[in-house]
Amino acid sequence: MIPTLPETFDAASAEQPLYGPRSYQVLSGNDLGTQLLEISMGPQHPSTHGVFRMDVVLDGEEVVKLKPVFGYLHRNHEQLAEKTSYLGSMPYTDRLDYFCSMTNNWAYAHAVEKLAAIEVPERAEYIRVIMAELTRLVNHTCLIGFMVNDLGALGTPLIYAFREREKILDIFEAVSGGRMMCNYMRFGGVRVDLTSQDLKRISMIVDNYPYFLDEFEKLLTGNEILMSRCQGVGVLSKELAINASITGPMLRASGVDYDIRKVDKYGIYERFDFRVPIGDHGDVYDRYMIRVLEMRESIKILKQALKQFPSAGDFINPNVKLRNFRPKAGEVYGRIESPKGELGFYLVSGGGTMPYRYHVRAPSFINLTILEDMCLGEKVADVIVILGAVDIVLGEVDR
Amino acid sequence: MTAKNFVGSYFDKDRMTTIQYPEERKEPEQNYRNFPFLVFDKDADHLRCVACKICETECPPQCIYIEVMRDEAGKIIKQPKVFDIDYTVCMGCQICVEACPFDAIKMDHEYEFAHENRFTGLLMSKRELAKSNDYFHSIKPAEATEVDVRLAEEAAKKKKPAPAPKPTAAVVPAVAPKPATTAPMITVPDDAPFSPEQRVWLQKFLSQVAVASPGKPPAPTGAPDAGKASDAPTAVEAPTEEENPDLTNDAPWHDPEKDIGSRMGMVQGKPLAVKLYAAMGQTDCTACGYDCKGYAMALAAGAEKDPSLCVPGADETAAKVKELLDQAGVKYNA
Repeated sequence: MIPTLPETFDAASAEQPLYGPRSYQVLSGNDLGTQLLEISMGPQHPSTHGVFRMDVVLDGEEVVKLKPVFGYLHRNHEQLAEKTSYLGSMPYTDRLDYFCSMTNNWAYAHAVEKLAAIEVPERAEYIRVIMAELTRLVNHTCLIGFMVNDLGALGTPLIYAFREREKILDIFEAVSGGRMMCNYMRFGGVRVDLTSQDLKRISMIVDNYPYFLDEFEKLLTGNEILMSRCQGVGVLSKELAINASITGPMLRASGVDYDIRKVDKYGIYERFDFRVPIGDHGDVYDRYMIRVLEMRESIKILKQALKQFPSAGDFINPNVKLRNFRPKAGEVYGRIESPKGELGFYLVSGGGTMPYRYHVRAPSFINLTILEDMCLGEKVADVIVILGAVDIVLGEVDR
Repeated sequence: MTAKNFVGSYFDKDRMTTIQYPEERKEPEQNYRNFPFLVFDKDADHLRCVACKICETECPPQCIYIEVMRDEAGKIIKQPKVFDIDYTVCMGCQICVEACPFDAIKMDHEYEFAHENRFTGLLMSKRELAKSNDYFHSIKPAEATEVDVRLAEEAAKKKKPAPAPKPTAAVVPAVAPKPATTAPMITVPDDAPFSPEQRVWLQKFLSQVAVASPGKPPAPTGAPDAGKASDAPTAVEAPTEEENPDLTNDAPWHDPEKDIGSRMGMVQGKPLAVKLYAAMGQTDCTACGYDCKGYAMALAAGAEKDPSLCVPGADETAAKVKELLDQAGVKYNA
């Protein structure tokens, strides 16, 4: 016989052990004698974007409790970096958010440059901006592809997104030697210079990208299914977004004007004329729309950067030692606006060749912490798209 | 691939975007990197690699293993006896290529590896890694040409002045007032009842006595700018090296396989330059701009102010060198 509980039982606030046997009680809002169902989504679930698990408690179709469980991809990144030279961690940062290795490199190089007071030549700054904005295009395009894939639009939009991504990855390969594991930035500049041929290829992509975006938007933005599945789903309030230190497109979709490119003006971002799109509702649809608009702004930045690109100059500060690099003792926090949000590196130097402490402030990880708040009361199918719109990469979440 | 392009490909080959892989291959970009290989100029027995172990130290996933080659007498030949790279561990990050001061290791374009042995099948030995400079030219012409030009320039620079390490050796006596860099001399025994300060002072005093004493050649007035002097007379060099067996390549501590503790144990009570010599990485990699004894002598003479140039010795050497210089009261750039 199924035991019954008082009508006021609030499953979401009831403390339950994460592991081990749990008592599942009955909701008795009606006379049907329904039962709560706990399901484990992941870690081998195609829409969790990697090895991520959600411990979801359902009342029928509705989510009453959700616990994100991660750590399946933990590989000791921070400890490894404390046992490797400063430069030696650079290739490992590629493997954090493997969609955006260029911005990961930049964030780390930015922190070390701040620590060791290294100047970056102008040409290198332009190359970095170009690479970072191309990375933003890659990330946002693919994210939308994945998100729509999660909604059930199997194939078409994702394949379109990947087609465009391949073109940009071709450039990354031609310049840095790796398509995804670029390992491109160095302290005080970049590893390889951009040739005029590379620049020509980049400007061709930049010129054609708006046409692709138009096509992409025609397919998606006004799509009835997309609208009904995304609008009003997974709403994140402005206050909660700020309190939970959410950053990136997630935060801006909730209506907070906060873009580190504008706030910190790191690198040479103050030279470019671009706007920061802000959402109004904080739902999944806004998150989709913010990313589309951000891509259009990225294209604007890219066009300006290519136009202003200095014809000569160093691509790396020649005074930076490659071997035996020892920044003076001190601590530093360097951050940039990665496509997923605020990516920061906290470093403590003891004056040796290895950092004493190395910490990554990963946007995917912190944006994931409010998953439950967004999912409560939503249908189980919406959990998938809410997670998709958070934009996580498990390499960065688990480190 | 759309039907339109498929039909179109009969008229224009470029519209067929698919590459029929095993038969056709896409030409990789010049900068493409996969796994490292070792470059040789003439034959595979004479690699550019001098077994300095810098790449072994710098490699983030630690996939390189090097052993130094020795002749019958146990003297180091600047070649690796063993140079293994575990391709299953290597992540293709190219840090070894950037760290190598000799352009001896480069990234390959090879991407088809398969082996039935998962443990040692992709553990590449020196024999498999060695590839000619011509091959390097064939995969990365731009980089290879740049490297060739640079190496030719360096060789030309080396040929004109006397061989690089020698001048420092010749100049050392010129800074005779500085402590104990020359010649065998009286040393304070370890069990003598002196405090460290007294010991340093005494050592200094004795070394000056030793230099000034008759029978020893007076300090030649060489170029004061040690390390860069190029016109040092060869006549002075020979006796210096003969006189001080501690500052030769045959010294027992000139052996990278001995750890720093046992090396320092061998030189107790010896002059500063010898102690510094024993503190070096002992691979003669010349990444610092000298060989090991040259760097030690330049440091002792005060001509080289940077105590942290030794890459193979890393932090251990840097700390030891600073300690020794502090003890002797020689100034350096912290």
